[in-house]
Parts: sequence; C-alpha cells; structure tokens
Amino acid sequence: MSDAVALDIDRYAHLESPVQRWDPRFKIATLAVLVLAIALLQTLPAAGLALVLAAFLLGLSNLPARFLTHGLGFVVVFLLPFFLVMPFSYPGAPAFELLGLPFAWEGLRLALLIFLKALAIVMISFTAFGSTRFDLSMLALQRLKCPSVVVQMLLFTYRYTFVFLGEMRRMYTSMRARGFVPGTNLATLRIYGHFVGTLLVRSFDRTDRVYKAMLSKGYRGELHSLVTFQAVPADYVKTAAGLVLAFLLLSADRAGLWVRAETGWF
Amino acid sequence: MHISEGILSAPVLTAGFAGTAVLAAGTMRRLDMEEIPKISVITSVFFVASLIKVPVGPASVHLILNGLVGIVLGWRAFPAIMLGIILQAIIFGHGGVTVIGVNTLMLGGGALVAYGVWQLRHRFHLRQRELVFGALAGAAGTISSGLVLALALVTTGEAFHAIAATVLAAHIPIMLIEAAVVGACAEFLQRIKPDVLAGQQLPRQRPVADSATPPSRE
Amino acid sequence: MSEERLHVSEGTETMIDVDQVWFTYPDGHEVLKGLSCRIRRGEKVALIGPNGAGKSTFMSHLNGVLLPTSGRVLIDGMEVNKSNLTAIRRKVGIVFQDPDDQLFCPTVFDDVAFGPLNLGLPREEIEARVREALAVVGLEGFEQRSSFHLSFGERKRLALATVLSYRPDILVFDEPSTNMDPLNRRNLINWLKASDKTILLCTHDLDIALEVCDRCLLLVDGRIAADGPAREILYDRRLLEENQLELPLALMTHELLHGILHEQEMDEEHRQIIGRFLHAHRHAHGPDGHVHVHLHAHDHDHSHLHEEVDERHFHEFEPHDHGEGDHRHVGIPHSHVRRDGAGRDTGGGGESSPRRGSRVD
Repeated sequence: MSDAVALDIDRYAHLESPVQRWDPRFKIATLAVLVLAIALLQTLPAAGLALVLAAFLLGLSNLPARFLTHGLGFVVVFLLPFFLVMPFSYPGAPAFELLGLPFAWEGLRLALLIFLKALAIVMISFTAFGSTRFDLSMLALQRLKCPSVVVQMLLFTYRYTFVFLGEMRRMYTSMRARGFVPGTNLATLRIYGHFVGTLLVRSFDRTDRVYKAMLSKGYRGELHSLVTFQAVPADYVKTAAGLVLAFLLLSADRAGLWVRAETGWF
Repeated sequence: MHISEGILSAPVLTAGFAGTAVLAAGTMRRLDMEEIPKISVITSVFFVASLIKVPVGPASVHLILNGLVGIVLGWRAFPAIMLGIILQAIIFGHGGVTVIGVNTLMLGGGALVAYGVWQLRHRFHLRQRELVFGALAGAAGTISSGLVLALALVTTGEAFHAIAATVLAAHIPIMLIEAAVVGACAEFLQRIKPDVLAGQQLPRQRPVADSATPPSRE
Repeated sequence: MSEERLHVSEGTETMIDVDQVWFTYPDGHEVLKGLSCRIRRGEKVALIGPNGAGKSTFMSHLNGVLLPTSGRVLIDGMEVNKSNLTAIRRKVGIVFQDPDDQLFCPTVFDDVAFGPLNLGLPREEIEARVREALAVVGLEGFEQRSSFHLSFGERKRLALATVLSYRPDILVFDEPSTNMDPLNRRNLINWLKASDKTILLCTHDLDIALEVCDRCLLLVDGRIAADGPAREILYDRRLLEENQLELPLALMTHELLHGILHEQEMDEEHRQIIGRFLHAHRHAHGPDGHVHVHLHAHDHDHSHLHEEVDERHFHEFEPHDHGEGDHRHVGIPHSHVRRDGAGRDTGGGGESSPRRGSRVD
C-alpha cells in the first residue's frame, strides 16, 4: 500500500556541521532566496552551477545521500515525461526527425534545464530542513513572520501524522491478515474508501479529545515557546555568502542569456 | 499530482503564492480556536492517506483525496491542503518549496470545487445520494486540479502546451480512481458517522474554552 | 481565592463537591442524572462503573470542560463556571487515557512546559517545573526528544508529567494502567500510593483501585450507585456483577482457589500448594494495603491455613447481605441498575440519589 516512509525530516539534525550550526532563521531565509534565484535561471551553465552549489551545501551538512533518494526519485519520475514529450513538441523548426517525429534540440535543452533546477532546489530544501530540528524550523518561520496559527497547525499536523501512520499500518496489516489483496478493480477502490473513512472516523473522535486535553492545560489559541534564537557573527557571514552566491548565479544567468542572444550558444 | 520544481515561470510561481495567500486568508476567516487542533488532526489523516498506493496494472498511483478533504472540511479544506502541501514539500520533496503556492491553489481549489459539487446534493432525491455526489465531488476535485495545472503550464510558455495536454489526459484515469474511492468513503461516512461530513453538522456539545485574557509574555 | 472560600463552611476539607449535577448532550442524550459526591483533601478515590455510565462526562465536569445542565461542581470551595476556568484548571489536572491525545507538542520539554507557559510563569520557574516533573516520572534527560519516538510506557508517564508541571491539587486519572507493562504499572501504583494529592482514579482495573484507593464510588447510569470504603465495594461480588463489572482479579483468584480447596477431592500435596498461595495472597492484600508477599507458609499446617483464608474475604459474597443496617451504602433499588427503559424512569433524582457514605458526611 505505501512504501516504508521516514516521516521525521529532522533525523539528521543532530549531526555537527556549519550548516547544522547555522541559526535556523538565517538559514531558512537565505536558502529561500537562493532557491528563488535558482527557480528563475534560464541557461544551462547557470543551472549546472546551481546544482554544484547545492551539492556542495549538502556535502557540507554531512547529510547522508540516501536521505535524499526519495525526494530526488520523485523529481526523476515527474520529469521523465518532459524528456519524452518536450523535444518532440517544441514549437518552431525541428532539427531532424526521429522515428517520424520532429525532434527539436531546444525542447531537450528546456527539459534538461528544468531537470537541473529541480534537482538543485530539492537538494537545497532537504539541506535546509534536514539540518534543523523540525520544531525549530517552524519557530524560525514564525519569527520570519509566517502567521502563528499556520505554524501551530503545521506542528500539530506533523505530530499527529506519526500517530495515524502507525494506525494506518496496523489497520492495513489486519486487512491483509483477513485476506485482502489489492488489485486494479472497483472492489479494491471501495475497500480503500472505507479504509480512509474508518481512519477519518477515528481521527474525528481524537480531535475532540486532543482539544479537551489542550483546554485542560490552559490552551487559549496560542502556542508559547521558551526557545530563543541567538545569532552569532558566523551566521551573518554564512548569510552574506549565500546572498552573494544567489546574486552571482542570477548575474551569470543574465550574462549567459546575453551571450546566447548574440552568438546562439547554450 | 503535484507539479515539480524548476518548470514554471516566475510570474506563474508568484501568481500561485498570491492566489494561495488570498484564498487562505479568505477560507480561514473567523477560525475558532477549537478548529486549530481539528483541522490539524484531520490534515494528518489525509497526509498519511495520500501515501496509499492504488495498483493500476503493473504500476501504481497515490491517492490524492483532495475532493474528500473538501467534503469533510468544507471551506477549511483549503488551509488543510495548504498544510499538507507545505509538509509534503518539506518532508518528501514532493512538489517543492517554490511551487507550494501553485500546488495549493491547484489541489485546494479542486477541494473547494468538490465541496461546491457536494453541497448540490441537497437539491436531489436519489437513493444513493451520498455515493453519487461523493463520486462526483471526487471527480470534480481531481479534474479541476488537472485544469489548474494545465493552465499553469500553458501560461508558462508555448513550449509546454503539449505537456499540458499530456498531464490533463493523465488525470482521467486518476479521476476515475478518485471518484470510486471518495464515493465509497462518503457513503461509508454517511452511514457510520455523518457528522464527519461537512455541511450537516449535528448539534454537538462544545468543550468550554477559557475566555480569560491570556497572561502576557514579553 | 481566599474570599471565594469563605462561603463554604467546611470548605477547607472538601476538595471536590459535586451537587446534584445533571448533564444532557445537545442531541438529547442524558448522561449525568443528579450525580452527587464529595471528596476530601488527600483522599484517594476510585471511580468505577460500566462503559457508558458517564465516567468521562463526569471527569470533564471537574475542570469545566463541560458545565452542568443543572446542579453545581465546587472545586476547593470555588464553583466551576465560565468566569474562573483558569483557576479551576490550575487546580485540577486530568491525565487522559490515550497519551497521544495529551502530547501534542514537538518535544518532551514543550509538552511538559505547555501548562506552565499558558500560566505565564517566568522562564526559570518553568524550567524548574519541567525538570521536577520529568524527574518524578523518571524521564530526566528526555527534554529534547520527540514524544512520538517514545515507547508507550514512556508516553504514558510523560502525559502524567505534563499535568504535574502545573502543580494541580487534584489529580484525575482516566484508565491510568491500560496497556502498561507490569513494571510501569507497579511504579505507577507505588507513586500513586505515596502521593499526598487528592486523587480520583477512573478505571476498569479494579486491582489498581483496590491497591491504591481507600474509597470507591460506583457510577451507574449517571448516578453514584454506591459509595464506601474500597475494600467493601470492591469485595462485593453481587454489586459488581449487577453492574457489568467483576471482582478484582486478585480476589477472583483467591475465591476460585478457595472454592477448589473446599470442594474438590485432591491430594494433600496440592492442597498444601494452594493453601500456601492463598496465605501469600492474603498477606499481599492484607488490611494495611501494602504489598509484601511472604512465601513462608510451609511452617503452617493445613487446618491453620483454612482459618487464615476464611474469615475476611468471603462472608461478603453471601447473598442477601444488603439489608438496612448494612454499612456499605448501596443506596439504590435494583431497578436502577438495570440498563433497560424500566430502570430509568425512577424520576426526579432527588429522592433516588444514593445515601451519602459515612466518610463524607
């Protein structure tokens, strides 16, 4: 039904590295800017540089490579159709015909560009959130003016995801134990519908109990925390470096665009 | 279905964030304190349910269930889906951080459409009303999401027209799967615990909240 | 708060005063039907009753999560109403059955600090309270862990710590021992016995009730059906079975073995073994309530064992023991206890409420 998934994004947050030590507020803000800059890139060399930079950050953080396999796998699966469709559908004059279909280098270039950018962004995003304890990431978001109610709900949702994943696995095991075999048919879909319905009914009762427990402990709609962030000079240096790199990437990209307009390269 | 990083143009990404911000603010108006844990806990159910894979021949697809979120949470489906998308982007790298806006608009918008379809059921007198309208809502949720996605691709550039058509076509089998699952689920909930479904809340005792002003913290 | 206490004459002693509380859910389901009881400071009381009797609804009334449809609840002399919920919730800590309902924060520290943070206490005070509460449940050093990575037993203890950290005078437990392994259960029992707080234990685990509590309330169909010393109510087989409960396992084992000893043909060796067990058991659940199992029965002879095991536990199981002069306060007629419609229409509550136990009057 579902692969073994590791929900705790912060399972390597305890590792020691300059990325882990970076103040989460500065880290998230800086990497957000960097990610946006990468999303705007339009030339292959700049996108390649971005990927190198992302790999460097990831290496710096000591996060193991298998930590990213799931996320990168998603990118590959999602973007595979782009490689198959775009070279053959790019508007304008095709370079040659492949198996009777018009093939345009420009379409392949675009697909490759998207692929490089997507890999770079996913790597940076995993580095940012994988190197910080989840609750600290969320508190950092709150300090960065993300609405408190959204941050609260993210924290609660994350926490209860673990409860329901356990519940879902137990229910599924008991279904399998009673001889359920999923197939491509209406009966399977109907059973999945009832399965999700059962999960919902249980969660609905739980929402009431959780709220009562919160009220009993004096909840009034706010989630307080004693966590304080303390930026040190190194945080400012890392942030400055990150912003400079984002600027350089964008500049290289615009330069590349100009070169392409002049010479037709890239 | 999520769109991945790196594809959409800057104006489309920006429009995604702007649209999400507006719709989130609108659908979260007059949010009661009680709804904070409620939306969160139910969102976590949908989060884990979206990990369920349905076999389609030799391959398999994940359930989306945004239509079901719509018929369970009503207007609050939009913020719930936003939470789900943010967490999926952070935890799994599904979608990604720059496309949180577009993805929320796509799936959350679909959920709102599904809720609209679901509410139409009151005007009909059918024997299996919840099953039929659940299925319609499930289908509507999927296909409207597919349309938003196709629109985002088409807006990004002429080069993406073919891919947009491909993506839309891929939504048709998914739509059928979603319709079957959401229809069965709606019928089940109507039978077992109808107050889970939006738009027909039965009288319920609300726990008494402490309305005193909270102590201030510096 | 002192001025609020003034208008309750015996207020210093009574911690929980529930007076003719009726509660009906909006769907018309009437759950509490004129429930009354009083619990004094420092008492340890078991609240038992079949499923659906209203135990959870009753607990929710103790800290104002639900307010009575009619009647009133006083906590330490303060009437529970909308205006003093902050103070009430500070006094009454409820430990829920499923720890996952109560642990909603990202880290152990945040969960334990949640209550004190809502009270607006200063940082040092909060940190001290968290340390103290975690030490009580043996989870020192767990502060930065996530609650969802703890074992069930640890989560159950953590849920208690999250309540202890805001220092309530009254602790209410909902099924504290379910799914606990024997060691955790034993530690909990020892902690409960040693605690000087007012404790209300809502449970189906009658063994824990028997060991921890000096008094027992039997809640049936929204009313207190019996109120008296735990050692009397929990030994009353007929009363318990009429209410879909059964004797505590400890007593059942005892009774069963005793029956075997009396009725069955068996050789002397087996008789000796059972006799020893009963003797040990008697010591384990002796009148002082402490567990010290002595397995040194070998120097007693058989006839002596018979005397030893007989006198206390079993005369109460004889039928027709509920006469007027009985000190066990089984106040309601049997029609009340029936779960069918006929038992419910006994009317206005006033005259059908149970007699108060001598301990609270």
